[in-house]
Amino acid sequence: MTRSPASGGVSLGSSPWVMVAKEPFTRRSWRELLYALVSFPLGVFGFAFVIATLFFGALYSVFAVGLVVLAASTLAVRGLGALNRDIVRRLLHEDVSPPLPFRPRPGVVGWVRSGVTDRPGWRARGYLVVKFPLALASFIAVIALRIGSLWFILSPVQWAANVGTEKLQSDGAAHHYVIDFGSFYFDTWQRTLLLVGIGAVGWWLAPWVLRAILYLDRHLVADLLGSTSLPSRVHQLERARAGAVDDASARLRRLERDLHDGAQAELVGLAMKLGLAQEKLTQAQRHGFPEVAQARRLVDDAHDRANAALRQLRDLARGIHPPELEHGLQSALGTLAARSPLPIRATVTLTERPSPAIEEIVYFCAAELVTNAVKHSGGSAVSLQLAQDGDLLRLTVADDGVGGAQIAGNGLSGLAERLSTVDGQLKVASPIGGPTVLTAELPARP
Amino acid sequence: MSAAPALRVVVAEDSAVIRAGIVEILADRGHDVPAAVGDAASLIEAVVEHRPDLALIDVRMPPTYTDEGLRAALTLRDGQPDLPVLVFSQYVETRLLAELLGRRGSQGAAGIGYLLKDRVGNVAEFMDALTRVAAGGTALDPEVIAELIGAGGQTRALSNLTAREREVLSLMAEGRSNVAIARRLVVSERAIEKHISNIFLKLDLPPSDIDHRRVLAVLEYLR
Repeated sequence: MTRSPASGGVSLGSSPWVMVAKEPFTRRSWRELLYALVSFPLGVFGFAFVIATLFFGALYSVFAVGLVVLAASTLAVRGLGALNRDIVRRLLHEDVSPPLPFRPRPGVVGWVRSGVTDRPGWRARGYLVVKFPLALASFIAVIALRIGSLWFILSPVQWAANVGTEKLQSDGAAHHYVIDFGSFYFDTWQRTLLLVGIGAVGWWLAPWVLRAILYLDRHLVADLLGSTSLPSRVHQLERARAGAVDDASARLRRLERDLHDGAQAELVGLAMKLGLAQEKLTQAQRHGFPEVAQARRLVDDAHDRANAALRQLRDLARGIHPPELEHGLQSALGTLAARSPLPIRATVTLTERPSPAIEEIVYFCAAELVTNAVKHSGGSAVSLQLAQDGDLLRLTVADDGVGGAQIAGNGLSGLAERLSTVDGQLKVASPIGGPTVLTAELPARP
Repeated sequence: MSAAPALRVVVAEDSAVIRAGIVEILADRGHDVPAAVGDAASLIEAVVEHRPDLALIDVRMPPTYTDEGLRAALTLRDGQPDLPVLVFSQYVETRLLAELLGRRGSQGAAGIGYLLKDRVGNVAEFMDALTRVAAGGTALDPEVIAELIGAGGQTRALSNLTAREREVLSLMAEGRSNVAIARRLVVSERAIEKHISNIFLKLDLPPSDIDHRRVLAVLEYLR
């Protein structure tokens, strides 16, 4: 609603009356009308389905089949809930975040148990039951107000076309009328116009009545079909963190590539030039200028420095993102084991390649744990194992040394911290006298 | 320089700085560089066109910057099993290298080498490796050897070798002569010869041309 202070008047286009008058024809009202029409059959079906499966499930609950039906119906009501959420999002423009997905416990019994006790499933059932009267009410509101009012508005046409009812009254006069309320007949054109008025009011009332009913529906959808607020917040944060972890890891990989293509290449070029200069000076030295020997020493020194810088840069780049990881953990951990001074048996069994950020964490953990075992355990052999159990990765590094390792010391706390950034954890089993088994568990995707 | 014959070398290296440096060094030594390219596809074209004596290849090249160079080397050896190939990179990349080493040329094994870029800066060592590989020998960076052994060497026939014999074999893999090995281990040349014949025996290599057996022993070692 905008008023123009300059003119001091009320602009016609935005006056509340005009807005109310236009309301039945807005897109929003049409969408809501469509929603009422679509959700009516859906509401009837959902209600019937919930009642039938609950009834059947309760009736046969002493037998396994009742519980199986109930558990299976959980998936169906979740599906109906998702369908309702989708329609609400498209037609009412209300975006309701879905509840956490159904995560059954392992095994058939676990699946049935999870299905029967699934909270989002029961909340969806609650919605479908309450939705039935709402769907009915909104359907009736639409039919009665929109179509009834339209019929009223068009009544002069009927009256004029003489399609109304003829009735012989006690006074002997024949009434030609459109509708009657008791003994009150709308049988004159003035009275027919009154009908038009009533129809118009009904027509303009219709969107507001429907909106009031849908107001309730929206709330029910948000409360019963949406996620409960805390899990949704946690879910949101988890997604944000996964994004941050992936982003940081991508940035580091880019940095490593930039180092490789930039500074490292320049240094190699420099070392080559110095190497060539060394050769030339060696040849010149034979001709016996004393300054040449001096220059040669300077160039030798510069060459050594360039090589040292190159090595440092290489180690730095390796610390930023191990290039071994290009081909996955299998070959990276194999290389790691090969490089170790102690014999290491490395076994890697992965069903799929984890995300790059996770691969990095696993690799750094493995490197740190192996270094620790070599340095502090005093053992003679180390085994390194990486296995996947569903979405969980388990890295185990064991040695036959003296034991006594603690999270607090030996850089293990740093590892535990790094693991915790992706909800991973480090477990230590290291009795005095050994053996030591360190286990890092983390998800395959952040 | 005088001793080494002039070679025709095709260079593949995506970094312009290093490429220019290599071409400069090769030219200084009197070698001919008919083509210096920056990616694997142009490398294969250049080798087909120029038929060089050796291909000098960087491992990491565009587009993925992982192991294009090694894959190109494998492709080249498929078409031309005797083409000497010297690969170099910033890091040791053992995955495809083991496969490359496993492929033998018609003469037993064509020259093969793998150097780290640090080594390329040392001109004498670099040129030494290059001429060795061009002549059909091997030139492997000690770091490369260390990782190749770890990657799978411990399990096979090599487990019969003594520590000293392994040491000798690893120096052979670097491409060193008996004299050089003897000097490095501070023993007599006779002792080295004895170690080597023991190695041949334990690896079950039939007596034949010594150079050939040397290469086979090294390959067995690295496979």
